Amino acid sequence: MKTTFFRYSVLILLTGFLINTNSLAQENDANNYKMLFKFKTVKQHDNSRLLEVSFIGQNKEDRKDKIPVYEAEIKFYNILSDDEVLLGAAKTNKEGIASIILPVDQSYLSDEDGFINFTAKFEGSDALDEEEEEILIKDLFLELNLAEIDSVKTVLVKANLKDSLGVETPVAELDIIISVGGMLSKMKLEEDTLEDGEFEFKFPTDLQGDVDGNVTVYAIIDDHDEFGNVVQKQTIKWGIFNKETSKVSNTLWSEAAPIWMYIVLTILLVGVWSNYIYTIINLLKIRKEGKQLELNTEN
Amino acid sequence: MDHIIKRKKELVKEFSPMLASFSLTSKVWIGFLIAVIALGLYAFVLQILNGHEVTGMRDNVVWGIYIINFIFFVCLSYSGAFIAGILHFFKTPWKNSVLRIVEIITVLSIIIGPIFILLCIGRLDRLHYLFIYPRIQSPITWDIIAIMTDLIGCFIYLYLTFIPDFAILRDNCENVPNWRKKLYKFLAIGYQDTPTQREKLHKITRTMSAMIIAMAIVAYSVLAWIFSLTVQPGWNSSIFAPYFIVAGLYSGVGVIIISMYLIRKYFKLEHYIRKIHFIGAGIILLVISLLFGYFTFSEYFSRWFSHKVHDINLLNTLFNKYFWVFIFANYIGVLVPIVILFFKKFRTIKSITFAAVIGVVGLWFNRYLIVVPTLETPYLPIQDTRPEFMEYSATWIEWSLSFAGVAAFVLFFMLLMRLVPIIPMSAIIDYEREQNRKPKMSTQNQK
Repeated sequence: MKTTFFRYSVLILLTGFLINTNSLAQENDANNYKMLFKFKTVKQHDNSRLLEVSFIGQNKEDRKDKIPVYEAEIKFYNILSDDEVLLGAAKTNKEGIASIILPVDQSYLSDEDGFINFTAKFEGSDALDEEEEEILIKDLFLELNLAEIDSVKTVLVKANLKDSLGVETPVAELDIIISVGGMLSKMKLEEDTLEDGEFEFKFPTDLQGDVDGNVTVYAIIDDHDEFGNVVQKQTIKWGIFNKETSKVSNTLWSEAAPIWMYIVLTILLVGVWSNYIYTIINLLKIRKEGKQLELNTEN
Repeated sequence: MDHIIKRKKELVKEFSPMLASFSLTSKVWIGFLIAVIALGLYAFVLQILNGHEVTGMRDNVVWGIYIINFIFFVCLSYSGAFIAGILHFFKTPWKNSVLRIVEIITVLSIIIGPIFILLCIGRLDRLHYLFIYPRIQSPITWDIIAIMTDLIGCFIYLYLTFIPDFAILRDNCENVPNWRKKLYKFLAIGYQDTPTQREKLHKITRTMSAMIIAMAIVAYSVLAWIFSLTVQPGWNSSIFAPYFIVAGLYSGVGVIIISMYLIRKYFKLEHYIRKIHFIGAGIILLVISLLFGYFTFSEYFSRWFSHKVHDINLLNTLFNKYFWVFIFANYIGVLVPIVILFFKKFRTIKSITFAAVIGVVGLWFNRYLIVVPTLETPYLPIQDTRPEFMEYSATWIEWSLSFAGVAAFVLFFMLLMRLVPIIPMSAIIDYEREQNRKPKMSTQNQK
């Protein structure tokens, strides 16, 4: 509770740095934090592109103490030599994350080797210095196909680069991960390398899907030096739906109680009530003897 | 044999003032108790006519002080049965002074306790459904079976221990109304204290003693399971059954001490109920209070340490809204008796009785804290309800019915003490007979 309170206090302070320019004490506090400005890009399954910055202050003395920078305006550019195209701007949220999504038809400036320069900039405030980070990547087109080939469920992945005329060039020696989506995270099925821009994978037959048997298959290029992050996904009815096999039999609304309950209850009740009857029989014997004694005395 | 007949006459003569007509103080007391019961009956009529609207119980907090009184009285009965059963196996003269008190507490509590559960039922006209459509899976059904079986068992046991005294009173009572003589004769079922009758009676009483100990444990565990087999925070606990048994013993011993003090004072029985009885009972109370404190600590400590959301919500309610009740029930109600009973110099009759009162009242509040705060912070969050439905406070109807229950308990106790002496005469005779036989046996052995 105390830690949370402290974290939010500093968060508010860091927010304050962006607004209040005259606070020396606050500046001193901010000086205790090293600013981590991380920039990444993900080419998403619909071929749109996510640009995302994580802007977090890390305590210089206690590295575990990380405070997100809130409401910092981040600008995203596509740069080629002197040409600088503003792609968009976003403010960091409570987690210190600012992101924009670029549409599929977005055109980019790229150099002669096909590299696109994405740059994220924070222009700074009186309390925080300006930050800038760039990513140089090629625009990779990942294709994911799911097909049954000779009754074998097969995952087919192709990775290509396209030139300005739309001519495809297969990419070789590219590490790829095949996963399926779960409720909370993705489960990795295979990790391999694409040979000549293609990869084939036999999908397991015993994988559980949702109630309709659907599974979502992902092909992921993860943090590649040349292509960054690229994700493709497809949903298909390849999963099996396991019906609940173990029924809960011990419920209050069951037709009948478990048999052992009847047995135990019967034993207990028969035992106790037999003893009551035994006691009453003995009391009757005592009364009979008493009556006999009374008769003897009267006679 | 003549010596025994003479001794019986002496004992009847000694105890007959207790059985004689009521003194003015007793009459005032009985009048007061009847007035309290009458007020309770009036409250009951109002509750029947207007429904549970006149109580503090609502849709969310469906249980209140009725169920707490039910648990309290039933736990008193089970602990009484437990203690009476154990005492029966002791062959010491001191048990005679407390045995009948314990037996009467046992039977009266098991009669009064279940009445409170009837008060909790909103639709009493559907009560018979419990018997027509019982569900063996439900702990409520187990409890009904257990209570009814226990009630009959306790009645039989109490009657067995009364028979020899009824016989003594039948044969020796003089200057008593004719109806009373007839009643003693009827209840004594021709018991003449012959060796065969005595042996038969001892045999069945011994068996019943062992049985009511086992029944008390089973029945009280079942009562605890009504709570612990749910997923409600504060109730879903594996130690609830033993915890209830220890708590029951704690209140049982406490009420026995209080009864001993009042009976000793008002019936001038200093000769029979002596300081040694209080010290003995006080030490038992000390051991049980330590156990009860340990169980209470374990119960709350594990809840606090687990940091489960529901348990934390419950603890927040306990430590905020019910802070002083919690302190009284679980600190003062345990620590004060421990401190008084631990030090030898504090162990006087009055201080031991005071410790017992604190313990018993503390335990009643402990039951309150088990029932009400959990219903105010249940497992499934309360939503879309009126704010006044989320909190409970007992109304005068509930309080008057509760006090009527206590008054009925005291009144029946007083009336039963008019029927048979509170000190079992037959047990004194049995003990003296045993003592007379022992020297003879040792003399024979020496020969």
